[in-house]
Amino acid sequence: MSLTVTGIIERKGLGPGVWALISDSGETYELQKTPSELRKVGLKVTITGETRSDVMTFAMIGPVLEVHSFEVI
Amino acid sequence: MKKFLLLCLFIIGLGWAIATFPGLGASGTYDSIVLDFREDVGSTKIAQDINAIAQQYHLSAHLNSKFSTTDNVYIVKGDRDLLDSLKKSDIVKDTETIEPNYIYKVSEVPNDPLYNKQWNFRSINVENAWNETKGNGITVAVIDTGISQVPDLKETKFVPGYDFVNDRLEATDDNGHGTHVAGTIAQSTNNNFGVTGIANEANLMPLKVLSESGSGTVSDIAESIKFAADNGADIINMSLGGGGENHLMKEAIDYAHNKGVVIIAAAGNSGQNSSEYPARYPHVIGVSAFGPDGEKAPYSNYGAGVDIGAPGGSEAGKIIQNTIDPETGESVFEGYQGTSMAAPHVAGVAALIKASGVKNPDEILTVLQQSARVVQEDPLNHFGAGQLDAYAAVQLALKGQITFSDFFRWLRDNGYLNPRFWIDGGAIALLPKIAMVLGSYLLAWFLRNYFPFRWNWNLSWGLIAGSSGLFFLRGLYIFDLPQWPLRVMGSSIPELGGAIQGSSMLNPIFASVLIPFILIALFLGHKEWKWSAIGTCFGVASCLGVSAFLSPVVWGLGYGLPSQLFLIINALLCFGLAHLALKSEAKPI
Repeated sequence: MSLTVTGIIERKGLGPGVWALISDSGETYELQKTPSELRKVGLKVTITGETRSDVMTFAMIGPVLEVHSFEVI
Repeated sequence: MKKFLLLCLFIIGLGWAIATFPGLGASGTYDSIVLDFREDVGSTKIAQDINAIAQQYHLSAHLNSKFSTTDNVYIVKGDRDLLDSLKKSDIVKDTETIEPNYIYKVSEVPNDPLYNKQWNFRSINVENAWNETKGNGITVAVIDTGISQVPDLKETKFVPGYDFVNDRLEATDDNGHGTHVAGTIAQSTNNNFGVTGIANEANLMPLKVLSESGSGTVSDIAESIKFAADNGADIINMSLGGGGENHLMKEAIDYAHNKGVVIIAAAGNSGQNSSEYPARYPHVIGVSAFGPDGEKAPYSNYGAGVDIGAPGGSEAGKIIQNTIDPETGESVFEGYQGTSMAAPHVAGVAALIKASGVKNPDEILTVLQQSARVVQEDPLNHFGAGQLDAYAAVQLALKGQITFSDFFRWLRDNGYLNPRFWIDGGAIALLPKIAMVLGSYLLAWFLRNYFPFRWNWNLSWGLIAGSSGLFFLRGLYIFDLPQWPLRVMGSSIPELGGAIQGSSMLNPIFASVLIPFILIALFLGHKEWKWSAIGTCFGVASCLGVSAFLSPVVWGLGYGLPSQLFLIINALLCFGLAHLALKSEAKPI
């Protein structure tokens, strides 16, 4: 499912750590295929991507959002 | 009336079964007997008694140590027959006690230097479990990011696995997560290096389904489950989750379960009500996480799908194992946290249970649940049946099977019934509830002798609403539904004040004579509803009375005497109110 979300980038300390997006409405997404430009805690971004319901992860913090494109705000 | 008598008979039967259960005292081992002679008997008489034992049983009794002279403590080799025989002999009158000289075992403390940082293993009581078994002969499949053979896994046994991400035989780890999880299950132990693992004599089967980034497809995971079942795995650990329900996955889980594999999964880390898939599927044991303080970790999911709680760590204390640094690939001892870390604790203990002789996966789950430390106040189902206890689990498993007596002992020790038999997870206090309902009926019965009235349904509903509510509903947890409506329906009137937040404290507005008074004032003139109001008075009186003795906690009054007085006074007022209402309304029948 294609999706555009705006929020803040966070690093979650589960296992060796994962990248997450906390949306403005408070939902937590686990980011996959995160480009290096997005790997900055506190960055405000709009990400367009796909939520993957056929994927499981060890982080289990919320829906998996595979990044297709992004815009730093 | 008939139902009431049947209930009384049931309670008497239950009480008898619990009271006559022999208990744990009979289970210790000993091969000698202690004779403690009375000090006023004198050394000549003691010498005669020792002589008598030597002649009659051909055994020599000797002082326990040189410090035993003043207390006259003697030891003689012997078993239960000798103990019984000595207790019946004339020697008894010269002694203070004759009792078994129980053998105490020192629990096994491993020599791994970082073991002192593993608070989580002491929390699950694993040292005592190691005296019995270390999981030899059991294979645990770790479906994860793979396992790298770091130095502290050097002495751990491996069986062949598979890398489903790169389609190759060698399933090494490129992330660190899988190696960490494997360490909790079977880190090399007593090797004078690093940390320890729970089932450290078990075999590990590495199955890589998650890529370097920590994600993997449902199809790979489903295939790896089938691979594990077909290649001799006894236990599967899945510290992963997400996505939706999937037919392929469900089929694979059923396949493995039918082959006798125990399947364990993490509940998830979004801090929400309900577990993630695959912990949600039937036949999967869902594990929530707690921190060093024993409280649910903030990230851990809870509610439906949680069968048991295990240490997962928190910021206050993490789970330390040997793994790889994902940047360099080098060996590190790293603290992780997550329900990912809690699940392998249960997988390790499941391996110990299976090594102790319980083979069936459903029975292994029952052992895990019945041996778990019950958390008394768990209205949101943070921990399912309770918190993992490795030693209690192994002890229960060593009995070979779960008998009727075990069931009663469990019930007696905890005062709890496990509603897993009919609903998913959690526990509700049954005995206090029965006392509350029974108490309200007794109160009504008592007053009936003075003011005869016809027993009716309105009265009964009033009794139930006031005393206990439909209390069994409180133990129901349904996926994705909020639990508070069930808690409200499952609460009595005095408990309603705390039902929405899930608090077990009594709210003084609800837990008082106020609501019965309002009901009586409103409905005393109504022909039928007045009986509900009167029943409510009895019910609330009973609920407050029982609470005053079992859990006197009222908001603002704390735990103890002030709350107790408040509850007793209000219980008496409720009873008085019912008394007045009956006096003015009851007509002879």
